[in-house]
Amino acid sequence: MNSFDILKIVLVLIGAPILGCLIAGIDRKLTARLQGRVGPPLLQPYYDVVKLFKKDNMIVHPAQNFYVVIYVVFVILSLLMLVFGMDMLMIIFVYTISSVALIVGGMSTGSPYARVGSSREIMAILSYEPILILYALAIYLLTGTFKLSALSTLSSPLLAYIPLIFISMLFVMNIKFKKSPFDYSTSHHAHQELVKGMLTEYSGPGLGGIEIGHFYEYVFLLGLMFMFWSSNIIIGLLLAVIAFLFVIIMDNITARVYWQWMLKVSWSILLIISIANILIVYYFYFKPA
Amino acid sequence: MTLAKSPWIIHVNVNSCNGCDIEVVACLTPLYDAERFGVLNIGTPKQADIMVVTGSVNYKNVNVLKNLYNQVPDPKVVLAVGACASTGGIFHDCYNVIGGVDQVIPVDAYVPGCCPRPEAILDGVVAALSILENKKKGNVKGKEVKMKGNEVPSNA
Amino acid sequence: MLDTISLLIIVPVIFSILFVALPKSLYKILAWAFFILGVALSVKLVMDGTGVVPVPESNFAILENIVFVLEVLVILFILAVSLKYKNWPTLGLGIISAAIFGYTYANVHGAEGAAFNIDQFSQIMILIVNIVGTAIILFATGYMDHYEEHRHLNRQKIFYFTMSFFLAAMNGLVMADTLGWLFLFWELTTLCSFVLISYNMDEEGINNGFRALALNLVGGIAFSIGIVLLATNYEISTLSGIGAYAGTNATAMAAVALPVALLCIGGFAKSAQMPFQSWLLGAMVAPTPVSALLHSSTMVNAGAFLVVKLVPAFAGTNLGTAIALFGAFTFVMTSALALSQRNAKRVLAYSTIANLGLIIASAGIGTPLAVAAAIMLILFHAISKALLFLCTGEIEHTIGSRDIEDMSGLINKAPLLTMLISLGMISMLLPPFGVLLTKWVTMEVASSNPIVSIFMILGSALTTVYYVKWLGTILSTTMDKNAVHHQKPETYFPLSFLGLCIVATSILVFSIYDAFIKPQVATMLNIAPSVTGAGGQFSSEIGTFAYALIFIVIALAILIYYATKNMFAPRMSSYYLCGENSLEKDRLMFRNGLCAYDKSSASNIYLQNVFGESKLTTLGYVISILLIVAALAGGVL
Repeated sequence: MNSFDILKIVLVLIGAPILGCLIAGIDRKLTARLQGRVGPPLLQPYYDVVKLFKKDNMIVHPAQNFYVVIYVVFVILSLLMLVFGMDMLMIIFVYTISSVALIVGGMSTGSPYARVGSSREIMAILSYEPILILYALAIYLLTGTFKLSALSTLSSPLLAYIPLIFISMLFVMNIKFKKSPFDYSTSHHAHQELVKGMLTEYSGPGLGGIEIGHFYEYVFLLGLMFMFWSSNIIIGLLLAVIAFLFVIIMDNITARVYWQWMLKVSWSILLIISIANILIVYYFYFKPA
Repeated sequence: MTLAKSPWIIHVNVNSCNGCDIEVVACLTPLYDAERFGVLNIGTPKQADIMVVTGSVNYKNVNVLKNLYNQVPDPKVVLAVGACASTGGIFHDCYNVIGGVDQVIPVDAYVPGCCPRPEAILDGVVAALSILENKKKGNVKGKEVKMKGNEVPSNA
Repeated sequence: MLDTISLLIIVPVIFSILFVALPKSLYKILAWAFFILGVALSVKLVMDGTGVVPVPESNFAILENIVFVLEVLVILFILAVSLKYKNWPTLGLGIISAAIFGYTYANVHGAEGAAFNIDQFSQIMILIVNIVGTAIILFATGYMDHYEEHRHLNRQKIFYFTMSFFLAAMNGLVMADTLGWLFLFWELTTLCSFVLISYNMDEEGINNGFRALALNLVGGIAFSIGIVLLATNYEISTLSGIGAYAGTNATAMAAVALPVALLCIGGFAKSAQMPFQSWLLGAMVAPTPVSALLHSSTMVNAGAFLVVKLVPAFAGTNLGTAIALFGAFTFVMTSALALSQRNAKRVLAYSTIANLGLIIASAGIGTPLAVAAAIMLILFHAISKALLFLCTGEIEHTIGSRDIEDMSGLINKAPLLTMLISLGMISMLLPPFGVLLTKWVTMEVASSNPIVSIFMILGSALTTVYYVKWLGTILSTTMDKNAVHHQKPETYFPLSFLGLCIVATSILVFSIYDAFIKPQVATMLNIAPSVTGAGGQFSSEIGTFAYALIFIVIALAILIYYATKNMFAPRMSSYYLCGENSLEKDRLMFRNGLCAYDKSSASNIYLQNVFGESKLTTLGYVISILLIVAALAGGVL
């Protein structure tokens, strides 16, 4: 590890939450504009987090904030692993730790609302996890390794090979951003489902920690979209922006659906087109070692 | 001034005729857009800063109000919206009514009217913000309100 | 080394006799002694090193006679019990096995000598059987009294006798190289399983016992036909001989494909793979130590063990691909079935079948890295699953139910137990623990075959779901009951010991790989997998698994938690129940519309109408039988 790497780590640790905070702010501002409102200031998510840390730490279970720490730490780790171009499959597993921590944290409070929210979030794992791993598999089939750093050896950007997985990933973004139509486990804004779903019993610093985790998570998720065109930073960023706009527009034009509906869509359409894409990649581009 | 920039409210309807509630909801519409001030109508008391109460308190819901008040983390502000919440309103001498919200929990600001206009409610929220800041500065904690089991009218 | 080998078989037999001879009051001391001896003997075997150990000629004739007598006894026992309980399918299968045995004895030229083959894989299996196995028997001494009290039974002598005798048979099975002897041990474990499944002696137990016996006899028949074919056509009488013969060239490999496929079918039946899975589910009626010992960590592994041992005979062929497909299919199908189960033991049973399917799938892929993954998964899975089963048994004694929904709030009632079972579950589904590491390796090596890897991807998502559901339920705080204090040392020592084993093996994963798996794969396939372990990373040419990094980050997270814990003074509060809480009673009680009090609760999603047994089992049977037929056809053509 040289000094450049350390600089990178520091940059991610400090830069990602700022970026994530801005993303969340833009999201709220854009949503307001789409609804014909003025909307909150751009830095509103920052104000929210600062406020949350000044509030009382009200808990129902002594260990509930432990899961928050696990969630935040592992989201940061998966983001760092993404930045350093490590093993994609490993990144997804590490990211799973953070999702599981949030779910178990919700369930650990014991509140019936939180438990229903967590159960639904578990179903969300069922719908997005296979697609994420298929994405990793596609990277392997194209480059012969799961390491993201090998993407630079490709002659064309990833998007050219796996456009169908890109489409599936757009919906995964929607699920992971917890936006309409898939915001049934909990939602960030004031359109409540089941009170606050998974996060019903979190308050003050605990919730603030979760919000910071979300900032990192936004950057991580959009980073996954960036990887589709990582050879050109501008187009890569453009893809991330497109994904982000897609999420916001979907959020504003759709109503919340049943989780069963999401499971059906993801296993019958998204998964099938992703698998079709994998088979295409396998037959046309895969060179066995 | 960070607390005042992000007031999350929980809206509690105790025995209201729904007139005030419609006006509270109107504050969130594009015309009044309470989110300009960072106001979010949050569902759970655990995450709220301002408790917006509408309607008068009666024996059936007094414990609900106390419970919710206890569940809002400090610093917290209670805003009584409408005549009923402030004083009991036209229901003040009804057989089952205890009275205004301040009979049960400490109220920090009142918004009069039957029903109050959305501008008045927003004004009340903004007035509550400085109280919120002061409470944080002075480290004022809301006292835990005690339950008395199922309350029954004293004259029953 | 021969001394250690004979001791490993003789000591459990002596203990089984001691259990019968001595009174119940001494069982705890006996179990402790057995545990210490088991650990000592297995470590001694590892110290002795590897190699093929022939049985001295002077003893061979006597031993061969003993084997003959035992085989006759096994067949007579099967015929007798199936007659006694009028179980005609088992009787029919028993007669067929007897016929094959008779044919073999009359026509097939017997082996000249016998040998034990101690390689690193056998050493791993011996370590599992003798350390985990004796720990489970130790656990049983704290478990069985309570179990029998509930069911008005008094059959503990049979229980301990069979459990100890099983360990002897299992030790023989993993060490024997001569196919005839291997088959005897194989059938002995089947019998032990039958006796222990029928332990309750009620109708359900006996029926399930016979189902296990019948399905394993089907596997046994395939196994014995395979042995006969090998002996008559190729004069192969040892397990290592198959690999040596097939390793010569592709024609030889194709020639032995049919017998190898038959042996693999024997392995599939033993490992309860898809068309045979019903016996393992039925076996869950047995006491929990039995499920932990036979039906998760040792006996069912024998099938996977055999398939992995046969890898040199099918690596890279069509038969290998068919086996990989079959294993991966079982993995995804049983994971889906596990999702719909509420009964904890059935979830674990399906999860066991799924993991064995994963082992078989990676054996089928047959590259050096895949075989390494298979062997490592056997090790890690055995430890984690033994812990999970034992904890489930203890939970059943604590709360009186094995329904996952009833376990909600367990953390309040039995904190230590909940921590241990959570560790077991986390080790099954999250990094940096061993099972996930091997699952990661498996998924990486499978990626060159898209169908297999798609099965694995779906299965792994399903696995996450059913474990997280359960994990969240036990960790939720919905029970206001106080903690129980019946922490008997003989119960909690094995549990904590297994928990420590999970953490230790996961931290030392690369050393284990270097010491055992690498040389094993190198001898089996003549190439060692190219894996390096610098800096706490398990890296191959296709990826890197940074387990040390994650351990460090977990430690960091715990540090951060304790550092920040008191920065924000926590204040306990009641649940949000729309303000209708009733504070005098249970914390989850609320006042309903009639001013009465109800307890709020939420249950998990089981997707019964999508992944239920009635929906999927038939489909699973059809596809898995098709895959087996394809494997056989691939073997013949």
